[in-house]
Amino acid sequence: MDALGHLMSGFAAALSINYLLYATAGCILGTLIGVLPGLGPAAGTAILIPITFNLDPTGAIIMLAAIYYGAMYGGTITSVLINVPGEAASVVTCIDGYQMAKQGRAGSALAIAAIGSFVGGIVATVLLVLVAAPLATLALKFGPAEFFALMVAGLCLVVGLAGNNMWAALLMTIVGLLIAMVGLDPVRGAPRFTYGVDELIDGVGFVPIVMGLFGVAELLIAAEKRQTRMIEADLQKWNLTKDEWRRSSGAIARGTGIGFVLGLIPGVGSIVPTFMAYVMEKRLSKNPERFGKGAVEGVAAAETANNSYANGAMVPLLSLGIPSSPTIAVLMGAFIIHGLQPGPFLFKERPDLVWTVIASFFVGNVLLLILNLPLVGLWARLLKIPFGYLCAGVLIFCIIGSYSLKQTMFDVWVMLGFGVIGYILRKLDFPLAPAILALILGPMMEKSLRTTLEISGGSFAIFLERPVALALLAIPLLVLATMLLRPRTFAKLRESDIE
Amino acid sequence: MIIRRRTLLAASAASALASPAIAQSKFPSRGLQLVVAFAAGGSTDVGARLLAAAAEKELGQTVTVVNKAGAGGQLGFTEIARARPDGYTMGFINLPAVNTIVLDPERKAVFTMDSFIPVANQVLDPGLIWVKGDSPFKTMKDLVDAAKKAPNTVRACTTGILSDDHLAILMTHEAAGVEFRIVHFDSGVQQLAGVMGGHVDVAFDNVGSVVKRVQSGEVRGLAVTDDVRSPFLPDVPTTKELGYPTIISSSTRGVAVPKGTPADVVKVLEAALLKAINSADMKSKMDAAGLALKPMVGADYAKYYADLHKQATKYTEWALKMR
Amino acid sequence: MRQGRLVATGLMLLFCLVAAWQSWLLPLTDRLGPGPGFFPFWMALIGVALAIGLLVVTVAQPAAAPVEAGDGEDTERILPHGPGAARWFAIVVALAAAAAAMEVLGFRITMLVFNAALAIALGERRWWLIALFAALGSFGVFYLFTTWLDVLLPVGRFGI
Repeated sequence: MDALGHLMSGFAAALSINYLLYATAGCILGTLIGVLPGLGPAAGTAILIPITFNLDPTGAIIMLAAIYYGAMYGGTITSVLINVPGEAASVVTCIDGYQMAKQGRAGSALAIAAIGSFVGGIVATVLLVLVAAPLATLALKFGPAEFFALMVAGLCLVVGLAGNNMWAALLMTIVGLLIAMVGLDPVRGAPRFTYGVDELIDGVGFVPIVMGLFGVAELLIAAEKRQTRMIEADLQKWNLTKDEWRRSSGAIARGTGIGFVLGLIPGVGSIVPTFMAYVMEKRLSKNPERFGKGAVEGVAAAETANNSYANGAMVPLLSLGIPSSPTIAVLMGAFIIHGLQPGPFLFKERPDLVWTVIASFFVGNVLLLILNLPLVGLWARLLKIPFGYLCAGVLIFCIIGSYSLKQTMFDVWVMLGFGVIGYILRKLDFPLAPAILALILGPMMEKSLRTTLEISGGSFAIFLERPVALALLAIPLLVLATMLLRPRTFAKLRESDIE
Repeated sequence: MIIRRRTLLAASAASALASPAIAQSKFPSRGLQLVVAFAAGGSTDVGARLLAAAAEKELGQTVTVVNKAGAGGQLGFTEIARARPDGYTMGFINLPAVNTIVLDPERKAVFTMDSFIPVANQVLDPGLIWVKGDSPFKTMKDLVDAAKKAPNTVRACTTGILSDDHLAILMTHEAAGVEFRIVHFDSGVQQLAGVMGGHVDVAFDNVGSVVKRVQSGEVRGLAVTDDVRSPFLPDVPTTKELGYPTIISSSTRGVAVPKGTPADVVKVLEAALLKAINSADMKSKMDAAGLALKPMVGADYAKYYADLHKQATKYTEWALKMR
Repeated sequence: MRQGRLVATGLMLLFCLVAAWQSWLLPLTDRLGPGPGFFPFWMALIGVALAIGLLVVTVAQPAAAPVEAGDGEDTERILPHGPGAARWFAIVVALAAAAAAMEVLGFRITMLVFNAALAIALGERRWWLIALFAALGSFGVFYLFTTWLDVLLPVGRFGI
């Protein structure tokens, strides 16, 4: 019961007054960011990284993880009240949540979302405790060849889930990888593509790019649109019938399972589990026609799966060092900024940090429940902030965030540039997630590929000789090729699932 | 871990700090950073964290260790060289890693040896050649014989291109007439995973990184690349004893600040660091970590810094020819 | 939309071509195996192939490609248009101006102006609220970050 012992000391640390404070602050800030329309958890987490600069790494990661959960929950509030998903994963919540709000049941919708999120988060974290450490031990046996293959597999999954947009997703992956190549060669240390620009020696900053693509671009899109009106409702009033509780509990149980399992697979974005959980409830329901008209189990399923996924996705991050969504990629960036490389080595070298952070996930979920049930009215009021202040306020943090990482205005320009690029790409329906994941995985992929070939003396046959690496490379690539060349079959499958 | 909050007085000083021209009345008036060019958990990092903790007490300010790993330390060294020369950003410089980077034209390093002011040396960590505990290579001779029998098949790993470990491999190539297949990792942790996972056969590393694992039998030390045995590994022979007196390699680590840092600030840091390095607490903790202390400051350190560069020049030119 | 996608894909094709050419100039291999140019070169070549593939797919698509216009907005036009365009440009211009001025004027003065200007440009009118917001968002934030969070922010030529 080594894991249990570690977890207990992790709890002891996580419950210390400072870490508790960081987690609380993170939950509050995260919810705030999540509630602000248009700002999802990826941009939110990136924007708030500077706040953690001066914390010790454990405290910083605790706070950023709390921000992440908070933002995921905050997105629910906007989905229910103004039918605007604060983040992609809340799209599904809009379907029944907004209908419930229109029927004057916003309070009930938000309550069931909070409860579902809590259950999903806690159960997923328990499962994380059981799965993460053994997986990390297994991954320690992985050589550079396997890691390379694993990263390729992760990127393939992201691309595969882009739907009929797969060509674009693949291209975005490559563009991300190429941008990641700017800076010092990870093996020989020769500067590449820097053209004498000093600021590029470290590479193009990851955080400024994320802030641009997700933060500034979102604001630019929001600026163009008409503003949406909020539904006024008594948010403290719950009126869930016994029957609704019964139906929701089933949905919560299933949503937890779906969310966690999908969270384990690198590359599955946060939107897939919510869709799947929702579709499953609809199929299992005796009267599926209620869905889309304010079915409470629709909200429960989506929100539970969403939060269970959020916690489950920590498993590949912590034990393999592979981010599964843009937000997790930002968290990974934060680890790196604080001098930590997530992955199997982290479990071995910094068990204190890993287990404290895991324990803080439990703490964070409890804090979110406490914060959200009574305070939901307060959060909703944030939706009334006029766009002018909102926009300027968010930009202040974007500027600080991109500047302070390396203390250079160059990164602010990078952020602005990628903001405009992100705006255009979003309008053109080019998926951004693959580029973000490729950006953070690029240097690691290159390094592991080159180390692999050093080990083999330059022969690519090493990938054929190592079954795990071969399987990790071949299966996703084959599936991807099939999907690319025979798009019809898969498109049909997908549509039938969602409709 | 305390939430760091400064008094009003310090705060107004902090805002003045951003313009380096304004002299500080009292240094240091806020938290300092110690840049480490290698990953957390490696032996450089272990020593740096101990020193940072001890220096905090002497300086009366927090000293935060920032790991900036990659490209055999070049990323971190670049960061140190380019830091604001106000003394608030110090860095750990690893010799001969800094030397070889400066000497390799392909690196296009933005720093030279003059970009750093060596402040205080902390560690001299001799090299160690080690294998997995159950490896068929029981002695250095086994390793050399195997490498002779099949050149370019025995996989030997370093902690980065042109690191002291890489130079030690090249010295072995020459001294023993063998050729290894060289694999470059970024850190000692990766070396450990690589050797334990059977992906590479032998690691050229430093005593400090694996001393505990040698003592526990998890890995086997074949030779210390020094002319005297390491006090931590009295049973491991030296390369000199084994008949390879030219395989002598070590890594020294100390604190430097970027060129242009005011002399009085350097003096403050030097005094504080020397005190921290010489404390009894530091000695016992470094012993426990298997890191040999070698305190050097001022002219001593400057001379060592210059001498080592001459020596490194020879090896690096040699390494570059073999590329 | 379709035209825009074609242009964007074309630009990415160009980007990949340039990347391939630039990586070709780096050593593709060395004694240790693949060199600095190896990975970017092959990635760029794959990118070129993908970009061409995407161009073909986009051209081949039926003209009335199903566009997910979730909120009934006009997604046919890529660049900002309509009444929101002014707000769009206000944000971009304000950010660029702030980035340019920051190192001369320092964080506090730049952001004071930035906040006020952007709030007004985005339709806020209550002057006292704007003034309060601008001050808090510049001097207040500066104090918060430099004092409490130990994050250094730019100070301009005039020492503020």
